[in-house]
Amino acid sequence: MINDDFDADFIVIGSGPAGVSVTFPLIEAGARVLMMDGSGPDHPSSEDTTEPWRVALGHRLEALVPDDGLSPKLRTPESRRIIAEFHRSLKIRSDSFLAIGGIARGGLSRVWGSLVSELDARDIEEWPFSINDLRPSYKAVTRRMGVSGSQSDDMSEFYGRSGEILPPLLIGPTAGRLLNDYCPGLFSDFALGTARNAILTVDRDGRKACDHRKKCLWQCGRGAVYDSRFDLIKLATCHEFRIVDYALATRLTPMGNGWEVSVRDGRSFRAPRVVLAAGALATSALAAPLLPNPPSELRVLSNPLIAMPLFVPRRLGCSAVSEGHSVAQLGYRLFYRNSDDEYVTGALYEIDALPPSNFVTRLPLSRPAANELFAAMAPSMLVASGYFHGHYSENRLRLEKRDGEISMTIQGGFRADLPDKFYEVTRRLKKIWRRLGAWMLPGTELAPPGADGHYAGLFGMGQEAEYGTTAFGEMNAAPGVFIVDGAAIPTLPSKHITLTIMANADRIGRHLAA
Amino acid sequence: MRRAFCEFLWSPPIDNARAATGRSTTLRLILTGASGYIGRRLIELAIERSITVVALGSPPANASAARVLPWRLGEEPERAVFEGAAAVVHLAHSWASDASAGDSATNINLVGSEKLARAALANDVPRFIFASTLAAYPGAPNSYGRVKNATEQRLLALNDAQGRVICARIGLVYGGREDGQYGLMTKLVRATPILPIVGIDRIAQPIHVDEVCAALLALAIDPLPRRDGVASAVWVVAGPEPVTVGKWLHTLRFAHTGKRIALVPIPLSVALFGCYLSRIIPFVPTIDRERILGLAGKNWFESSADLELLKVGVIAPEKRLASLRSARRRRVAEAIAMLSYVAGRPISSPKPVARLLRGISRRSDHALGLPWYVFACPLLLRAFEPLRSRPDHRLAQRLHLAAMVIETMHAEQIPDRRPRFINLALQIALEAISLPFRLMLSSRFA
Repeated sequence: MINDDFDADFIVIGSGPAGVSVTFPLIEAGARVLMMDGSGPDHPSSEDTTEPWRVALGHRLEALVPDDGLSPKLRTPESRRIIAEFHRSLKIRSDSFLAIGGIARGGLSRVWGSLVSELDARDIEEWPFSINDLRPSYKAVTRRMGVSGSQSDDMSEFYGRSGEILPPLLIGPTAGRLLNDYCPGLFSDFALGTARNAILTVDRDGRKACDHRKKCLWQCGRGAVYDSRFDLIKLATCHEFRIVDYALATRLTPMGNGWEVSVRDGRSFRAPRVVLAAGALATSALAAPLLPNPPSELRVLSNPLIAMPLFVPRRLGCSAVSEGHSVAQLGYRLFYRNSDDEYVTGALYEIDALPPSNFVTRLPLSRPAANELFAAMAPSMLVASGYFHGHYSENRLRLEKRDGEISMTIQGGFRADLPDKFYEVTRRLKKIWRRLGAWMLPGTELAPPGADGHYAGLFGMGQEAEYGTTAFGEMNAAPGVFIVDGAAIPTLPSKHITLTIMANADRIGRHLAA
Repeated sequence: MRRAFCEFLWSPPIDNARAATGRSTTLRLILTGASGYIGRRLIELAIERSITVVALGSPPANASAARVLPWRLGEEPERAVFEGAAAVVHLAHSWASDASAGDSATNINLVGSEKLARAALANDVPRFIFASTLAAYPGAPNSYGRVKNATEQRLLALNDAQGRVICARIGLVYGGREDGQYGLMTKLVRATPILPIVGIDRIAQPIHVDEVCAALLALAIDPLPRRDGVASAVWVVAGPEPVTVGKWLHTLRFAHTGKRIALVPIPLSVALFGCYLSRIIPFVPTIDRERILGLAGKNWFESSADLELLKVGVIAPEKRLASLRSARRRRVAEAIAMLSYVAGRPISSPKPVARLLRGISRRSDHALGLPWYVFACPLLLRAFEPLRSRPDHRLAQRLHLAAMVIETMHAEQIPDRRPRFINLALQIALEAISLPFRLMLSSRFA
């Protein structure tokens, strides 16, 4: 199979969660894999310092920028750097759309929220394979990431049970109050339980368990939160694996019985098969030029995202506790009215460890009053996120051919009936939270399109069209090119998609290895 | 509103979209070195005059203002780039190549500039403006000057160069953003009251960056004036009034700090030895030998006639710089007031102030013009806050930055947030009192 013309059996573009997930099965089967990374190895960060401003704002004050409505985890210096690099490298224009992507070793898994969930048979009804095809991959990926959560509460079935689940993280006092007041069967349409996070609660593979010091946002330094760089360390020990640094792929050209990938700096690499795992947007930038008759636009699915501030009056007057974490505490699921298969899901976060400025800005008060109010209320507050199904998004990726190159513009938007759904869901949740002892504060709002960062549907698996891909992610228009990241996910349920993207990449990897 | 702001953050302005979608009727300028000190300002001024800029090279910090095409000195841009362009303004210069290749024929500045000019001329771009220096003469002390001189010669000797290739010999540029050589000088004079200096009595011809840009735009776009009836290829864009380097440093120091500077003249050989030491001693910032030699120019060039022909009015540097100090003072005072207001206690330690100023200056260098009583009593800023923080409100935006600076000043990650209900009650009372003022005044710093 190996030809001297080829640098490897497979070229994997992207070092993020999808890239490493597709690589493991390939390596295990003895294939030679060359991974192209748009950035390079991490230099030891000099931000491991005790100076708090360097940690929170960054050496070069990268994070000292005006409020832009992003979630706190995307406002850290690390996130700002990664996203800025993405925008510098990829000239994707956006119109009413927050385009989030990462050009960095490990991709966006460096700055993700760590929430994971498996999909079930209903979620993937329209996909070209069954849930049983995904189960072994879920199991393998879950084991590799290290996922903690509850095994037996109301949400554990919803989050899936294919993989090994480690004991849950500590639940904070405010979230704990809500969970105490909840009992199974209390609501017919609503379920609440411990959130499932890709965070270690036992030491494993050189990574250490979470020590509950609330440093989740700023790299706790223990490796508790999954990040695909840990997998790269494992892969680096394999002979068949090679990673090329600073190789930002710019173009794919067919050659003989394989493909040539050109890099920005003029290098090029060849392999019989190329796997695109650079993140939905970056992958699309590489895949779109391969279509012989590119459509004028492609749809981009994303999960419309709401954020609800909640206040738990019974906690008023308590001071913040020093132990805990700032990732998701609890997860919930709410069925829409008159529907038992369409739902909204999200998570609850305690906010006392997050920078107050994120919230203070939103209060309709002057700064000192808002500071004071926040100081009084933060220990008794929660923020609930909620994700709508991807079909409520209406984002378009417009492709224009100019000067022989394809320029891309994303136009963001929501389906016309989303506001009604938003109203329905918030009204119902308001009642439920009230019943559980939390008041929903004013300020619930829909984040701008794209703010969720879960992009999918561009080259969906099972689509017949030229821009579709097969059940194994192989492009209809370009045999030998496989798409394994979000771009190949055909429908986007409300559940967090990361784990499924990884499992799907693993599934495709197994297929390719066979 | 937030949506508008997001668009502002993440996508280029509409002008740019128009520029990108093809043949517009506006003038199109191709610019190299767009991320440099002069380049950035040139983009701003060009846009004020509705000139579209296509930047070749790495994206400038104000990238959204221009369409950027990846390019490196030495590469030949694609033909399509030049189509319909009014002129190429070539500002890019590789210092690295000066250091490694000196003034040999392999210097990328020489080769790359020639390649770019050839491509531009072959593709019918009417004008090619090459940014040169006053130090461009054959025996110039540093290779920068010699390379610029050699490049001038090469470009002017090209076929079709007649009337199309223009060399602008630029003097010592100052003003605007503290970047490039000007940034280095201001940093120096601000940092130290005593400065050892080479060639204290050498001549410099300072010219403001806006004046340089105006001259470059005139050369690129306006009908080329004829000097004594002849179309000249070399233009001097430098301050008409020569000053000595020593005098200039005095002027800068006084403008930036209000203080005087003591200059210690040192012989050139000693300075060069210093450069050498700085290179071999680890952990000491390296001083560029080229830059030191660059300070040692000695010629004076007549420039007032050229500037007059180009219709560039020059304002004396002392006059321009006079307002600088008061402006900076004002920005500092405003920063202190905002920090103190947000923190609820006086804050004037230099580090947080510097951080806030840096954060603010990414968007704007201008002070808000807050009234005097706010400096005396920062609490009064409350009267100018909008009812709901809007991302496009300038004061609200700066207060948000101030809040981020304040909350990262202290070591403890989780401050004791035991609620202080008396304070809260007091704040709510103040809130009620200030409400009518905010309704009236909050638009003042929007």
